[in-house]
Amino acid sequence: MTATYRDDGGRAMAPLSGNMLTRALTGGSLVRNLALGVLIIFLGFLTIYPLAMLVYGSLHTTPPGIAGEFNLNGYRQILTERNLLVLLNTVGISFAKTIPSLGLAVLLAWIIARTDTPYRGALEILITLPFFIPPVLTAMAWGMLGNPQVGVVNIAWRWLTGSDQPLVNVYSYGGVVWHMCQYSIPFLFLFLVDAFRAMDPSLEESSRMCGATRWTTFRKITLILLLPILTSSFMLSLIRGIESFESPLFFGTPAGITVITTEIYEAINHRASPDYQYATALSLAIMVLMFTLVIWQWWLLRGRSFQTVTGKGYRPNITELGAWKWVTFGFCVLFFFVTVVLPVGQLLLGSFFRFFGFYTYDMLTLEHYRAVFANSEFWRALRNTMMLGLMGATAVMVLGSIVAYISVRTKWRGRRLIDAMAWLPWMMPGMVLGVGFLWAFAMLPGPISIYGTIWALMLAYIALGTPVATRVMTGSYHQLSYDLEECSRVHGASWFQTLWRILVALAWPAFAVGWVLTFFGIMRELSASILLYSIGSEVLSVVLLKLWSAGNAEQVSVIGLMMMLLVILFRWVQIKLLNSRISKL
Amino acid sequence: MSDRPAGGKRQRGTGRDPEEVLVELLKTVRKCALAAAGLMLGLAPAAAQAEDWAKVVDAAKQEGTLVLYTAFVGQPSTRLVADAFTAEFGIPVEILEARASEIRERVRVEQAAGRFAADVLFTSDSQTKVYVAEDKSVAPIPPSPSQAKVKGSFDMGDLPFAPVMIIPYGILANTNLVSEADMPKKWADLTDPKWQGKILADDPRASGGGYATFFVTHEALGEDYHHQMAKQKPTLTRDQRESQRRVARGEYALYIPLILTDAAGLKGLPVKAIVPEEGVPYVLYGNVLLKNAPHPNAARLYIDFLQSPKAQAIYAAQGHGVVTEGAGEGLPDELKAIVDAPLLGKTDPARLTEMMAKAKKIYGE
Repeated sequence: MTATYRDDGGRAMAPLSGNMLTRALTGGSLVRNLALGVLIIFLGFLTIYPLAMLVYGSLHTTPPGIAGEFNLNGYRQILTERNLLVLLNTVGISFAKTIPSLGLAVLLAWIIARTDTPYRGALEILITLPFFIPPVLTAMAWGMLGNPQVGVVNIAWRWLTGSDQPLVNVYSYGGVVWHMCQYSIPFLFLFLVDAFRAMDPSLEESSRMCGATRWTTFRKITLILLLPILTSSFMLSLIRGIESFESPLFFGTPAGITVITTEIYEAINHRASPDYQYATALSLAIMVLMFTLVIWQWWLLRGRSFQTVTGKGYRPNITELGAWKWVTFGFCVLFFFVTVVLPVGQLLLGSFFRFFGFYTYDMLTLEHYRAVFANSEFWRALRNTMMLGLMGATAVMVLGSIVAYISVRTKWRGRRLIDAMAWLPWMMPGMVLGVGFLWAFAMLPGPISIYGTIWALMLAYIALGTPVATRVMTGSYHQLSYDLEECSRVHGASWFQTLWRILVALAWPAFAVGWVLTFFGIMRELSASILLYSIGSEVLSVVLLKLWSAGNAEQVSVIGLMMMLLVILFRWVQIKLLNSRISKL
Repeated sequence: MSDRPAGGKRQRGTGRDPEEVLVELLKTVRKCALAAAGLMLGLAPAAAQAEDWAKVVDAAKQEGTLVLYTAFVGQPSTRLVADAFTAEFGIPVEILEARASEIRERVRVEQAAGRFAADVLFTSDSQTKVYVAEDKSVAPIPPSPSQAKVKGSFDMGDLPFAPVMIIPYGILANTNLVSEADMPKKWADLTDPKWQGKILADDPRASGGGYATFFVTHEALGEDYHHQMAKQKPTLTRDQRESQRRVARGEYALYIPLILTDAAGLKGLPVKAIVPEEGVPYVLYGNVLLKNAPHPNAARLYIDFLQSPKAQAIYAAQGHGVVTEGAGEGLPDELKAIVDAPLLGKTDPARLTEMMAKAKKIYGE
């Protein structure tokens, strides 16, 4: 069993000191240190600086720029029995959604990447769609489907069974968890599917040869090899669950469920004056708790190697399921139907009627599409968002690749620091971090005018995307064997050629997935956007908020559907490119 | 005027206090004194003012643009009024929208950092009191021609706030679930046991329409009214627009409070907007001039324009109550009923903490 991964104890230094790339850089250690220094300063500016503003806010009676005094009142206030219950509630909900989500995502990733299930290419795109729809829309759709009084699901249930009790009620703990799962399953799936693909089956084959059953092999070989990506994605998802806001707000508040984020929201929005001291203290306390999780992951992965992509040619082992492939196919279709067709069908249908849920002939209309297309602000925002998304996602993936490379494949001093810095933005609830960015950019010395320009948004997006970008690339680099780099250099390739032909080429699938995740992350981001956008640099999420606030849910759906079309297009192109790449290698 | 901080704030509100009467009296005396001073300074003040105002208009045109921050998110009236202003004076209006707490933090930080970007802020009078008291980001509003047209009941005293329109709150009922005979006619009707479990309500424990209605009906109908309402077990939510739709779809019979301005957008759905007989709780919106505004004259001109008959008519046509006489003339009956609805009252920001705690006590944590 221990053959499933190599304990690098004794060998740890050998491959690393032999690593050509590293050696190439150690030659000019001054240049290297300088480059590392620049990277640390840049990451520090993006992550530590806004957080430092928030630390100031938590220790000071007034926000930056107003006279006040330093005290610990913020921290004293959070130490209440009620908050402890709220915290337990929040963590409980997050575990309740992360564990089944991870299980389902692993199952789906395995089906798509490692079995001969029919139409898995199309399914791969389709089952990830819910992740890309603005949460407010799926919340509305599920509210229409699953409300106990007149929800479509419950009407169908009553009609079928004659029961007078509803089958589901989305305004409950179950509803909150379910709505969160809609986002975490595709998110985790995207994270995992390429790791499943990039796997040399030789270890699995050895296991089978030694008499292990298929299930034992899956458990003891496949899953253990995927430990870095599994733990990374588990933590990303768990932390995001703790910070989730829309699901508890829509489905939890009516049922009296309070979580940390709704508590913070209340402190900022629903008091006589926003209590930033309390809100920031609470967020920072939660952040410390979350960081212990990251340290736990470091401990779990320490000194081990998870390389599965080596110089030897391989094809991922495709399990032939026989007749069972129709069962796995059916499962994927069922998943697609429940998580995509049901809610998105509502949105699509509703977008052609004057009002959601009132599907009569005389209500048929194209006015929502016309209104959106005629809205000049929408086009301007779309242009800005596309520009920010394309540039931001690319920049963030380059940054994430560099950070991941240094933290995984070098032994440089300071690599832990940058890895930790790249985690930070993920651990702050968006609405608080947004305030951190606002304070940070506005309070820069006068001549540095980032605030009020589109660059404020760009920098915030890069900071917000860094954790995902870094995690995606970290998982991928963990899988690459060092012999590939060495081989390349031995055969006379330059450092740059090696970087390009080996690291970039082999990590490209992860890069592409990370790019799509961060691109749509940027498209959806509201908390920081609304505090940083300026006149002329409106973004799509702000336009969506305006339309939603004006009661134009149908127009919001039209835009949501267009965003989904874009996802399908991107994913299709990506998978096409990916296939041509793989066939070349 | 700027030498007067928000000292008398606590007395504003319900208007039953004898102290209030005294304050009003003092204000009247002060106004008379100011008017007398004005008379002494100029022989023909009206003509002089008109001439001064022409200078303001010219200077505003020179400044070339106006930057408006608004906490009134997504409403078409903002653009309509801005376009009317541009049509009249040729000055384009740049608008930045965000929710109240976000706008406030942006304004506060910009002022603190010396990055003065905004001229005028469109917000509620209660928010303005907070800006004045805590952020010190608001400048006094200089006199302008349209001010004289504002109804006496909207006299803001020392508050540097130019009232423009009101957002009135009423009741929404599903017409498939509630027969015409059963329709509630006033707030007090909602305590009838037949509505138990059938009311969807904006959360009274969170600032917004729910809290405003709680505050005002608490003052007007008494605390016991809310103890009875709590027994109705209303379902509490935080999304006003989606809640209206939920009632339309038949999840609940009633929704409170309905932003009456939204009624027009719900036409075609099986719902009815009710203006309660006791009157409507409301939020008063208006303009604030920000300190160090980059376009001060355009700002003055804009603030004046929003109290002019043209802008007031635009708001009335959108179903808002307005602050000048006669803006509701010629409107269709159902819109006129909303625009002219009797006003029950508005919140007092000085009592927010106290009343929020009370709402939590009555409706549960």
